[in-house]
Amino acid sequence: MSPSRLEHPFGQLIDRDTPVTFEFEGETVQGYAGDNVASALIGEGRWLMSRSFKYHRPRGPLSLAGHDANTLIQTPTAANRLAEDLMAKDQGTLSGQNYLGSLKFDYYSLLDRLGRFLPVGFYYRAFFKPRGMWRFWENVIRNAAGLGVANLEATPRYTDKQYLFCDVAVIGAGPAGLNAALTAATGGAEVLLVDEQELLGGALTYHRFTLEDDSRAQTLKALSNAVANHDKIRVLTGATCNAWFSDHYLPVFQGDRLYKVRAKTCVLATGSSEQPVVFRNNDLPGIVLCSGLERLMMHHGVCPEGPAVILAGNDDAYLTAITAAEAGLSIAGVVDLRSEPDDLALPAALSELGITLYQSATVYEAHSDKSGAQLGAVTIYPIESEGKVGVTPTHLECRLLAMSAGFMPAYQLACHGGAKLAYHDDKSEFTLTELPEGMHLAGSVNSTHDLKAVCADGRNAGRGALRALALETDNDETVQCERHVNHPWPIFKHPKGREFVDFDEDLQIKDIINSARLGYRDIQLVKRYSTVGMGPSQGRHSALTTARLIADATERTVTETGVTTARPPVKPESLGVLAGRRFHPIKKTPMDQRHLALGAHMIPAGSWRRPAFYGALDHRAANIAAEAHAVRNGVGMIDVSTLGGIELRGPDAAEFMNRIYTYGFLKQPVGKTRYAALANEQGVIIDDGVAARLAEDHFYVTATTTGVDRVYSEMLRWNAQWRLDLDIAQVTSAYSAVNVAGPFSRDVLEQAGCNIELSSESFPYLACREGMVAGIPARLMRVGFVGELGFELHVPSLMAQTLWDKLMVAGEPFNIKPFGVETQRLLRLEKGHIIIGQDTDGMSHPGEVGLAWAINRKKAFFVGRRSVDILMSQPLKRQLVGFTLSPSAPKPEEGHLVLRDGDIVGTVTSCEYSPTLAKVIGLAYVHPDDAQPDSEVTIRTADGVCVQAPIATLPFYDPGNARQQL
Amino acid sequence: MTSNLVSPLRCLTSNDDDRSGSLKLRDLSLATRSGVRGVHASQWLKSESLPHELQPNTIEALPDHRLLMALSTREFWLLDPDNPSGDTEPTFERTKPGVWPLYNQNSHAWLVLSGEPRADMLAKLCGVDLRSKAFPLGTVAQTQMALVSTIIAHHLWRGEPVFSLFIDQSLTDFAWEALQDAMAEFNTTR
Repeated sequence: MSPSRLEHPFGQLIDRDTPVTFEFEGETVQGYAGDNVASALIGEGRWLMSRSFKYHRPRGPLSLAGHDANTLIQTPTAANRLAEDLMAKDQGTLSGQNYLGSLKFDYYSLLDRLGRFLPVGFYYRAFFKPRGMWRFWENVIRNAAGLGVANLEATPRYTDKQYLFCDVAVIGAGPAGLNAALTAATGGAEVLLVDEQELLGGALTYHRFTLEDDSRAQTLKALSNAVANHDKIRVLTGATCNAWFSDHYLPVFQGDRLYKVRAKTCVLATGSSEQPVVFRNNDLPGIVLCSGLERLMMHHGVCPEGPAVILAGNDDAYLTAITAAEAGLSIAGVVDLRSEPDDLALPAALSELGITLYQSATVYEAHSDKSGAQLGAVTIYPIESEGKVGVTPTHLECRLLAMSAGFMPAYQLACHGGAKLAYHDDKSEFTLTELPEGMHLAGSVNSTHDLKAVCADGRNAGRGALRALALETDNDETVQCERHVNHPWPIFKHPKGREFVDFDEDLQIKDIINSARLGYRDIQLVKRYSTVGMGPSQGRHSALTTARLIADATERTVTETGVTTARPPVKPESLGVLAGRRFHPIKKTPMDQRHLALGAHMIPAGSWRRPAFYGALDHRAANIAAEAHAVRNGVGMIDVSTLGGIELRGPDAAEFMNRIYTYGFLKQPVGKTRYAALANEQGVIIDDGVAARLAEDHFYVTATTTGVDRVYSEMLRWNAQWRLDLDIAQVTSAYSAVNVAGPFSRDVLEQAGCNIELSSESFPYLACREGMVAGIPARLMRVGFVGELGFELHVPSLMAQTLWDKLMVAGEPFNIKPFGVETQRLLRLEKGHIIIGQDTDGMSHPGEVGLAWAINRKKAFFVGRRSVDILMSQPLKRQLVGFTLSPSAPKPEEGHLVLRDGDIVGTVTSCEYSPTLAKVIGLAYVHPDDAQPDSEVTIRTADGVCVQAPIATLPFYDPGNARQQL
Repeated sequence: MTSNLVSPLRCLTSNDDDRSGSLKLRDLSLATRSGVRGVHASQWLKSESLPHELQPNTIEALPDHRLLMALSTREFWLLDPDNPSGDTEPTFERTKPGVWPLYNQNSHAWLVLSGEPRADMLAKLCGVDLRSKAFPLGTVAQTQMALVSTIIAHHLWRGEPVFSLFIDQSLTDFAWEALQDAMAEFNTTR
């Protein structure tokens, strides 16, 4: 049977025609669409939802707004979700958390009885002796206080982010926010209105601002309609603005999306947090804030089981009692902390409804029912002085207690921007001052509580926003609000304790006072010692009480004491939403699809993906050997589009090349390539490539795949100083390239159709040409990186795939075989060619790595010249050499250490088995005294096994370099 | 004769949904584009009877339906969205000193995004305010989209306001997927 609910106008959020069910703690719960889990549970009379963090006390909702940590529950995919934040219709199986046994019968609740032995900071002081004991106690404590369980098997939800731009961001869609948004939008601003609740209107949707309650509904309807129909206002409901950052950069969470709001100015109409009264057992399920009871009734149509007691520190609580009584809730009494209300008509209104009024009194202690998990009665005492009660108790049976000790501005966002809180003794409330530029406050966060004043304050804030935007607006209205909503001392210490100041952290009055007694006078130290305000509710309900208690304990004013620093986030947020959709850009060459079709095993190479080799990974060695064999004995082709490409054009291009690279380039003939090594100002080799001179004023230079961005950046930086007349262009993406290598490479190009004479006489080793290959304009370079006759073809990227296809067809008669980067690394290793970044490090100068020949010592300058001269004039400290090992020896890996008399003298930088040479070959840094070919070095391989490796003369293969010059 | 040109996106179109306002992404990577840069680039435009006083980060339609985009006072792109590129390099490949031809035909893929919510959709990928109020027709942003450097130009094409997106051609596959993912929620049939 569907649960009964109050009739309209109660239950604005629920659809009574759509019942929903979910499971909580193994029992089926019924509610309606629009219910959240908390309202559905209370609709069935179930207040117990969680266990407290430290003492495992039974807990139920306090605010019914998701502003407290009393409703943390476990879902199948996530822990620590607030029951108010979970819609009942979307849930499957839910449970409580942080218990041993069951939610109702938690064995850990024994800790509550041992509370006197577990004061604040007890584990700081108790569990570190004897040495090592913390490891034992840590497990015990973590098991007892672990809260929920993370489901590591859960499928991550799709989360993403979106920017939102507006002129004015209005945070909070209560009466102040609605008025501010309308004023700003009508004045011509683009407005974003954000509210964490699903309904627009804030307190207008649940709270009667006056006894008569005559204009609230009309005001709400008029404002909501005006906002909904205004084309300059965009509304985000169910959305939480979780921080304020410089220049009004606001993260707003809505569902699984994080909006990154960029506003020119903002209005904070965030309202205020109703404050609890602090008395013994004020945390029992069934004790709520007055606004929480109103939300239950007005939003969800839930009329909780009575009788109820209303504990009033202000007139608003009277109005709650009247609304509840009109809804049919039995009211056992209204207990007013004051001698009389401000509005003297209120007692009479209560009397008319037959409600007993207890004035100058407080609930001093709450008692649980037989279950121990819900309120059963309260004991009321008269108040004699601040925090002191008399001797004559009154006992009231009740199932519900709604309380209101006052309101604390929702100060968090303002304080993120640097605003300060000042306490006013006359009103016993904090106000915000020193707002950052462009931030405006409106409504109760601005200490305005009367509805008319709140609306006017909202309009003024809207005007302020318009002025900040340099838009015209009229003069501000006069806003006056004399209402006192805060009781100066709603704190009643009980000899038996259990008066909770901070529900999240199970902190009682004595815990706060003891912190001060132990010397932690500063509120920040009190926070760190006691953990007050550190829980999910971030001090929303504890900051004011803590400030009052510490001020009293340290004999200072509340203003002097202050509150702890508010930092983002305002509410707990999920890491998944913070991460959003992750982007991992991967560069692909134009031939990428061809590689995949050929079964390439792809690997990352910098920001690119490249074929390592073609074929299955579990046949890696055989695949590489086959590819190497093809290059050495037939013909192979590799996609080298990832090579960096830089164009240098202009009258000063040769002069620039001569200055930036170590070699001489002024006299480089057109049609020739040269090896180009780049040093930094410390004399370290940082990149290399091939420079092709295409014209007197035109060089095309390659750079390493991962180094080209740095090279390009360095070139721009240097020419910003040199101001030479040339253009430097990064063309890595504009040109793609293949290297056709092997004894039949010339035949393949001829077969493909090439308008360049390819003979060794016309197109010798290290020459470059421009022409057409297979009908495609190409730049050709004869290079020998893999040590065979080879042609590197650079073509416009849009034509690269076609070139690849045509060369594969042309190569068929020669059994052309594509080869990957791992094969290329093996082949170049056989030739003793180094790879910058792999065989060099941040200290490698040309002399160490065999590049002395690539330094032109005759020219006056090149980048790094002075350092290179200094480094190379000193004795070498290490030297890169080749070594060999038999195939049966343990194979060193890159990074393995080279030892000399037990000391580390170097590392292995490259090492592979060469099927061509039938031995293991490698490069390593060794001590200079061991660098001669008749020496041996000790290499420590895996598991500490040392091998003696003879030094070899480079290159290992084709020492006369005859093959590449064919 | 078969063209040697192959777009990294194989000239894809995101959907066949021609409902008014729906988002559509087209690959124009094979359409003609060229450009010049250098200290004399502006004079070169003048000598070619092209507008030569364009402000940086603006785009202007030419009478022959080409577009001229200024990325700085010294860099200009000529875009011809309705004219497929040939296999040869641009006619002004060799120009005089101070006027250097660009390689943008091959270096950048060209995507065209149309549809009413295009600014909202791109707000999921890009931090620049692309709403018409802040980014009117004729403006250009050199920014990042999904962590990829992108040039975004707001102009009319075939009478419809569109965003042209120019992305490093090696990252086009990635950018296409990111855009498709971001577009999904806007093109859901109701």
